[in-house]
Amino acid sequence: MADSRSIGDSKRIVELATFFVGDALCGMDILKVQEINKLMQMTKVPQAPDYVVGILNLRGQIVTIIDLGLKLGLGATDLSQDPRNIIVNSSGGAVGLLVRKISDVVSADMERREPAPANMRGIQGEYFTGVYKTDNTLIGILNVDKVLSFED
Amino acid sequence: MEIEDDEILQGFIEESLEHLADIENDLLAIEERGADIDEDLVNKVFRAAHSIKGGAGFMGLTTIQELSHATENVLGLIRSKKLIPTPEIINVLLIASDQLQSMIEDVHNSNEVDISAHLVPLNAIADGTYSQSAVDAPQRAAKAAPPPEPPAPAKAPASVESKPVPLAETPAPPEPPATQAESIVEAEADAEDDDIEANGDNIEDDSTDANDFTAPARGGSRSKTAGPPAKTETTLRVHVSLLDSLMNLAGELVLSRNQLLQTIGSDDLRNAEAVGQRIDLITSELQEAIMLTRMQPIGNVFSKFPRVVRDLAKKLGKTIDLTIVGKDVELDKTIIEAINDPLTHLVRNSVDHGIEKPADRKRIGKSEIGLVVLKAYHEAGQVVIEISDDGKGLDGEALAASAVSKGLLSPEQAQVMSDKEKINLIFLPGFSTAKEVTDVSGRGVGMDVVKTNLDQLGGHVDIISTKGAGTTISIKLPLTLAIIPCQIIETGGERYAIPQVNLEELLRIPAAQVQNRVERVGDAEVVRLRGTLLPLIRLADVIGIERTYYDLNNEEVKPDRRENTADRRSKESPLFRSQNEQDKRQGGRNDHPPRSVLDRRNSASSALNIVVVSTGAMKYGLIVDRLLDSEEIVIKPLGRHLQQCKGYAGATIMGDGRIALILDVANLARMARLTSLDGSDRASEVAKAEADALRAQKDRQSLLIFKSSETEHFAVPLNQVERIEKISRNDIEDLGGKRVMKYRGGSLSLMCIDDMASVKPLADHDNLLVIVFNIAKRAVGLLAIGPIDAIEVNADIDDVTLSQPGIMGSIIIDQHTTMLVNVYEMAQALYPQWFVEREKVVFEPEGDVKAPTILIAEDSKFFRNQVKGYMTEVGYDVVEAEDGVEAWDKLHEYGDQITMLVTDIEMPNMNGFDLTQRIRQDEKFGKLPIIALTTLASAEDVARGQAVGVNEYHIKLDKERLMVSVHDYVKRRH
Repeated sequence: MADSRSIGDSKRIVELATFFVGDALCGMDILKVQEINKLMQMTKVPQAPDYVVGILNLRGQIVTIIDLGLKLGLGATDLSQDPRNIIVNSSGGAVGLLVRKISDVVSADMERREPAPANMRGIQGEYFTGVYKTDNTLIGILNVDKVLSFED
Repeated sequence: MEIEDDEILQGFIEESLEHLADIENDLLAIEERGADIDEDLVNKVFRAAHSIKGGAGFMGLTTIQELSHATENVLGLIRSKKLIPTPEIINVLLIASDQLQSMIEDVHNSNEVDISAHLVPLNAIADGTYSQSAVDAPQRAAKAAPPPEPPAPAKAPASVESKPVPLAETPAPPEPPATQAESIVEAEADAEDDDIEANGDNIEDDSTDANDFTAPARGGSRSKTAGPPAKTETTLRVHVSLLDSLMNLAGELVLSRNQLLQTIGSDDLRNAEAVGQRIDLITSELQEAIMLTRMQPIGNVFSKFPRVVRDLAKKLGKTIDLTIVGKDVELDKTIIEAINDPLTHLVRNSVDHGIEKPADRKRIGKSEIGLVVLKAYHEAGQVVIEISDDGKGLDGEALAASAVSKGLLSPEQAQVMSDKEKINLIFLPGFSTAKEVTDVSGRGVGMDVVKTNLDQLGGHVDIISTKGAGTTISIKLPLTLAIIPCQIIETGGERYAIPQVNLEELLRIPAAQVQNRVERVGDAEVVRLRGTLLPLIRLADVIGIERTYYDLNNEEVKPDRRENTADRRSKESPLFRSQNEQDKRQGGRNDHPPRSVLDRRNSASSALNIVVVSTGAMKYGLIVDRLLDSEEIVIKPLGRHLQQCKGYAGATIMGDGRIALILDVANLARMARLTSLDGSDRASEVAKAEADALRAQKDRQSLLIFKSSETEHFAVPLNQVERIEKISRNDIEDLGGKRVMKYRGGSLSLMCIDDMASVKPLADHDNLLVIVFNIAKRAVGLLAIGPIDAIEVNADIDDVTLSQPGIMGSIIIDQHTTMLVNVYEMAQALYPQWFVEREKVVFEPEGDVKAPTILIAEDSKFFRNQVKGYMTEVGYDVVEAEDGVEAWDKLHEYGDQITMLVTDIEMPNMNGFDLTQRIRQDEKFGKLPIIALTTLASAEDVARGQAVGVNEYHIKLDKERLMVSVHDYVKRRH
């Protein structure tokens, strides 16, 4: 599966779905998003990795929900603050990414993407392919495949 | 090599493989008929070979064409009856068809395969120059140089599997991923068997016998052999009629959907209901129909066994008759695919190790032809597959000994195992390395793998084996894996599903019994279930969530703070717990508001809900918060992020749309580090602990505790009590100075303790209890008030302080002095007329004959005095002894004077069993009647007593029965 870098190679303008994880604004290629919902009737899975919030019945399909905040090391997402699930199709079935808030769709010129700054390295740095600067803010571009890989 | 049209090629491959599958069985049939040639059959095989040849020529697959052409030639000769199909010829044809199959499965490389090893004998047969020796040489040569075709990777797993085989090839590089390798392995594994056959010196060599024996079985377990549908197929044939009915159902579903949408728009509730029912019906039918498409006859797997058995039997020099029953039984496709390996393994084991060599069979009077029966049938919604042979069977003792010598089992464990458990030892991982077991019983190679595979399918393996007469292995399998009935349970507020195949029973231990039935051994909990000890696992602990319990009163889930279930904070019954103690305990829980007076441990909420599950040979109890319904559920896989959670087999969606996880009971046990051996470890530990406890506490007496007045506590031996009735005071009638009540169509005489003993009068309650005893063959009731309870106490009875008429002594129970009521004495005093008749019988000793002398051996003074009392009362002389040693001495001292011995079992220095044994072995006293007295006559004790020579067993304080048998023996003696 192509990550955003290789997409960037083939086409310059990518629509980024942006969302807040904690206070950080992150973005991912919108074509990877199957849907965004606010279903929160999750079933806890004891013994699952801590970033797995639970599993969800998405029209008959079992979807694992990952708290992106915990995964990226930005703190747990508050379930009472009306968070959203971004459902992404990955090779191992659909996975939901729990985020605090959904933001705009931004058209981004991938050639203007900058490498992740030094202070984004560390734990969470590995999950970003770069940073995109808009007029008034910075968007961390998420490496979705990396986030979904489960061998930590 | 370039092949242009992939689709046509694919068609050719599929068609050819089908032909080959038929060829194999047909060739075997031809072989069986020998000279009596069935033309139709030969024609069929001929045509099959011909079509393969034609197709291969068209596709440019020259090697395949060449080989099929040579095959066709030979078949042509057989068809025209110019050649009689001897087993040798058929063998050559079979090997050739195997080669064809392996080439077709890998068409792209088929042209590079060297087939001269097959062509030479085939052409020799066709030319009439064929002889056995002629074929042997080229075959061997061919095998020595392994076919240069792709199976390079396949060779590796095959060889790795069969380590012990001294094969020509050395194991090739590391094992490739199993799934990939498997599909390639299949034909190759067969070729490997042929290798062994060709390298005849290996198999015939006795020095490597053991290794060889296991080798084919091992290799076979992985190999998929020539069976057609053995590999994972991507396409499936479905009957058109089935497809039509599916289409119909789909159409109906669409119609119903439209109706539903309309109804939702309107407010017509009744119509909505109707539509709902319709959809329900259609869905069920659709589900059934779709399941049918997945069903395949088990014959698909069975069909390859004639060849497997034939080849193996031939190689081993055995004659074996294979009977296959129930080919048409259908199973889900996935199951059919998955049982292939285990079944092959089991069949090979039967042939290889089960059936004896013809010579051996003849010697023990069996027919030289061994029987192997493969049978499939439906039973109780499951499919049962049986593989039975009339071979030598399994020797449980030898297996146990072998397991002990391998350190898998301690000798103590082996001792307590049943025969069945011993036989099941062959499923233990690491149980066997080929040689030992082949020597011992010939089985057990990789049986753990077989079992694991079947467990994964939700199957169940059972072995029935009679040494010398044969073995039957039966496998129970679910019809399908997609939809399974499950028991739904709840723990920690979440629901979980337990597959019903794993479910043995549901057990609820009422709060009041928890303390008695659940015990701790080390850090493990066990529960008593019908005489066995069942290890317990708390689901919450295993999956690492907070322990909770379900409060029935307000239907809430609350955290559970108890440390363990077998809470021994107080051994005594909750009914007798002092108020102080409760207050103390509540005071200690500052974080909690004061609770109701009753501790939760005694309320219904603290009853234990246990799901007894079994997985293979292991059985354990899973403690859960609540037991809910049983439901049919659809298994859905968990995402890969959750693959590491071993406790779940998947998830399912419940009626309310939420998800429930499906528990994998085998893995839960593993996670709780509970193996079946651990289980028996614990069981034997518990048994030992119990025996120790019994020894330490020796005379335990079960007592029924009750009150008569509010302040005084009384007890009677529980074994004297017939039943307890609740009555109202109005039921009591005072007639002729006696109290009676109507009871079971007659009058029951009633007594009060204060009738005889100087105790406080019966409390003035409206609700009374009547404890019914059976004395002198009559029922008599003792009036009492509650609360009553049955407890077990050490018989530390004081027979002096409070002893008085009607009271035989006292004992401290729960800090209360409790008086033991002598019901017998009371009845005798109050209703002397009942005893007149009996007393006469007793006073028999005539004139000059000396009264019989009874030797009483009993360490507890109380019981000794009691028994002595019974004896002297009727005129017998008594000699007392405090233990077995003293009794032995007294016996010698008094010699012939002693008429009989009444002995306790638990005594210091020498116990009753040892004493009895000693007496029985003594010449002089060997025939002395011995009556054993015990407080708890367990079945084992009775059996042991009888084994050492006790004549009769009686319960202490059961005066009546004891005396009857004493009289009996005394009379016999005189």
